[in-house]
Amino acid sequence: MRERRSWIAPSVLSLLLIASLVWGYNQYMRNQQYEVALDNHYQRLFFDVKTHVDKVSTSLNKALLASTKERNILLFTQIMNEAAQAKDKLAQMPISHSEVSATEKFLTQAADYAYFIIQKHLEGQDITPEQREQIKNIQLNTASFNNELNNVAQSIQEENFLVGMANAGNRNKDSEKASTNALITSLVNYDKEVAKTPELIYDGPFADQMLNKKPVGLPNRKVNLNQAREIALDFIGRDKIVDIQAFEEGDNMNEARIPVFSFQAQSSRNRDEMMYISVSKQGGVVLNMTNPRGTGNKTLSVKEGQQKALEFLESKGFKNMEPNYNLRYDGTVLYNFVYSEDGVTVYPDLVKVKVALDTGDIVGFDASAYYLNHQENRDFGKIRISENEAAKKLRNGFQVNSARLAMIPKGKTEVVCYEFKGVYEDNQYIVYINAETGQEEQILQIVENENGTFTF
Amino acid sequence: MKKFTVITLILALLFTAVIQFYEPSFNANSMSRALLTAPRLLYWGSQGDDVRTVQDKLLRWGYYDGQVDGIFGARTYRAVRRFQEKNGIQVDGIVGPATAAALGMSTSPAYAQGNSRSADEYLLARCIHGEARGEPYVGKVAVGAVVLNRVRSPQFPDTIAGVIYQPLAFTAVADGQINLTPNKDSINAARDALNGWDPTYGCLYYWNPATATSKWIWSRKVNLKIGKHWFGI
Repeated sequence: MRERRSWIAPSVLSLLLIASLVWGYNQYMRNQQYEVALDNHYQRLFFDVKTHVDKVSTSLNKALLASTKERNILLFTQIMNEAAQAKDKLAQMPISHSEVSATEKFLTQAADYAYFIIQKHLEGQDITPEQREQIKNIQLNTASFNNELNNVAQSIQEENFLVGMANAGNRNKDSEKASTNALITSLVNYDKEVAKTPELIYDGPFADQMLNKKPVGLPNRKVNLNQAREIALDFIGRDKIVDIQAFEEGDNMNEARIPVFSFQAQSSRNRDEMMYISVSKQGGVVLNMTNPRGTGNKTLSVKEGQQKALEFLESKGFKNMEPNYNLRYDGTVLYNFVYSEDGVTVYPDLVKVKVALDTGDIVGFDASAYYLNHQENRDFGKIRISENEAAKKLRNGFQVNSARLAMIPKGKTEVVCYEFKGVYEDNQYIVYINAETGQEEQILQIVENENGTFTF
Repeated sequence: MKKFTVITLILALLFTAVIQFYEPSFNANSMSRALLTAPRLLYWGSQGDDVRTVQDKLLRWGYYDGQVDGIFGARTYRAVRRFQEKNGIQVDGIVGPATAAALGMSTSPAYAQGNSRSADEYLLARCIHGEARGEPYVGKVAVGAVVLNRVRSPQFPDTIAGVIYQPLAFTAVADGQINLTPNKDSINAARDALNGWDPTYGCLYYWNPATATSKWIWSRKVNLKIGKHWFGI
C-alpha cells in the first residue's frame, strides 16, 4: 500500500508539469502569431505611407509644371487624397503622438491646401505667385519626408527593422530594438524639421488662422476672479447656490480659445447637485452654464419648454433670437436659438438652451459660439439677386417648402444666402444660394429621428 | 491496484492532450467582450425611452395595464413575464435581445440606431467611461471635448474613432476598459460634448499628475484643472 502511494504524488505532479508546459507552449505560440500579425500590419502601414508620400511628391512636381487649370484640378485632387491617406495611416502606427504631430499637421494642411487650390480653380481663379511659393514649400517638405522614408525603407533589406513594433506600446530601454529606433529617430528628426517651416496662409478649416481664431463678440472690459464670481452668482440666482468654488487654473489659461473663469456651484435644493458655469475674462459674460441633474416626470411639453427658454434668453439680454432645431433627450430638451437681424437669420450667432421638462428649469446654456462670432452692425454685403432668380439655380424637381435669407459661415468669412428648405426624392434638404453671386454655397441634408433633427 | 493507477494516468494524459490541442470554436474573451458591449438590458428599475417603447407595445397588445411612463416597475415586470410566457421565451422579466426581437424592437441600443452621430455618441461615451468614470460630470465632458478638439486639429486623425483608437493615445483603450458599458452619466457627457460644450476651451491634452509617466506631457501648456486631470494645449 505504502509503495502505491509514493507512486501517485510524483506522477500527478509530473503530469501537472507536462500539462503546464504544453499550455505554456501553446500560449507562447499564440502570442507569436498575434505579434507577427500585428507586425505585418504595421509594415503594411509603413509602406503605404511611403507610397502615398511618394505620390504626393510627384503630383506636386507635375502641378508646378502644369499650365492648365483642368490638369491642376486633377493633380490637386490626387494630392489631397494621397496626403490624407498618408496622414491617416501614419496616425495608426504605434508611434507616440509627440513624435509625429508636426508631420501629421503638415500632411493635413497639404491636403487642405490642395482642396483650397481646387476651389480657387473652380471659381476660375489662377494660382497667385504667393500661392505658387507655398506650393513649392509643400513640395520641398514632401520631398524631404520622402527621402527620410526611403532611407528607413532601405535598412529593411539589412534587418527586419519593423519586427518588434507590436510591443512599441510598452517601449522601454531594454526591449527597444535598435532597428525600431531607427524608424522613430528618423521620424522625430523629420518632425523637428517640418515644425520649423512657416505657417501656410490660406482659407480652409485646418489653416492656422482658422484654428487660432479669436472671439469677436465679447465686450471690452476685463473682469477679475471676484467680479466673475459675482456674475456667476447673479446668473444662476444667489438663492439657488449654497457654495461656489473656482477651478484651479494653469499658467496658460490666457492662451485658451476664450480665456475663462470656471466655477462649480453647489445647489441649495440638493447638496449633491453640482452646477458648472464659466465666465469670460474679457467682457465678463457667461459662456456656459450646465446643471447635469436627473429629471423627474415631465410636466411640460416641448413647445412650453421652448417658451421657457425664450423667456430665459430675454431675461439675460439676448434680443432677436429665433428658435431653430431642438434635440429631445430623456426629460430634457436642447433648444438652438439663432440671432436674426433685418430678416436675415445669422447662423454663426448660436445660443443653446437646455430645459428640464419636469420643472421648466434651465439646466443648460451655451453662448460660446455666439460670442465667438457675434458682431454689432454686421455688414451683410450686397444682395444682388432676387429670391426668384436664386430659386432658378435649384435642381429641377427640388420641391421648395420655404425660403428666406440667412448668413452662413464660409471659411474665414460669412456669406448671405437664400436658404431653401425642401424635399428631393423623399429626402429633406436645405440649399444655400449666395445672394450676391448666385453660387450654390452649401447643401445640408436633414435627418429626423425620435430625438430631434440633425443636419449633415 | 497498480493497473488502476496506470489506467488513470493514461486517461489523464489523453484528457490533457485533447484539451490542449482542441481548438475552441470561440474563445471566452470574445464572448465577454460581446456581453460588455451588448445593448443594455431592460429590467426592474430601468428608465428611459426604450422602456416607454416596451410599455407602449405591451399596453397595445393587452399585457400591460399601467402608465406608459418610461419606468420599469412591478407592473411592467409582470407584463414582460406574461409576454415571455406566451411567446415561449425564457421567463425572467428582463427585456434582452430575444424578448426585444419578439416585441419587434431593434436589439441595438437606442443611441446606436439611425444616423451616424448616434454611433459616434456611443463610442465617445465608452471612451469617457473608460477614461474618466471616477471624475465629476464636468471632468467627463472635458475628456469628451478633448477628443472632439483633436478631431478638429490638424495634428490628429479626422474621425472620432481615429482619435480614440490612435495607438498610445488613451490608456483606457490600450487596456480594454473602453469596452465597458457606459453608464447614463457618460452618455449624457458624450451628448453634452457633441452638442458643443467644451469646459476646456480648446484643450488637446489631459493628464493625471499622479500617474502620468511621459516627460513630454509636462512640457504642455496648462490651462486648468478639472477633477484629477490637468488640461492643456
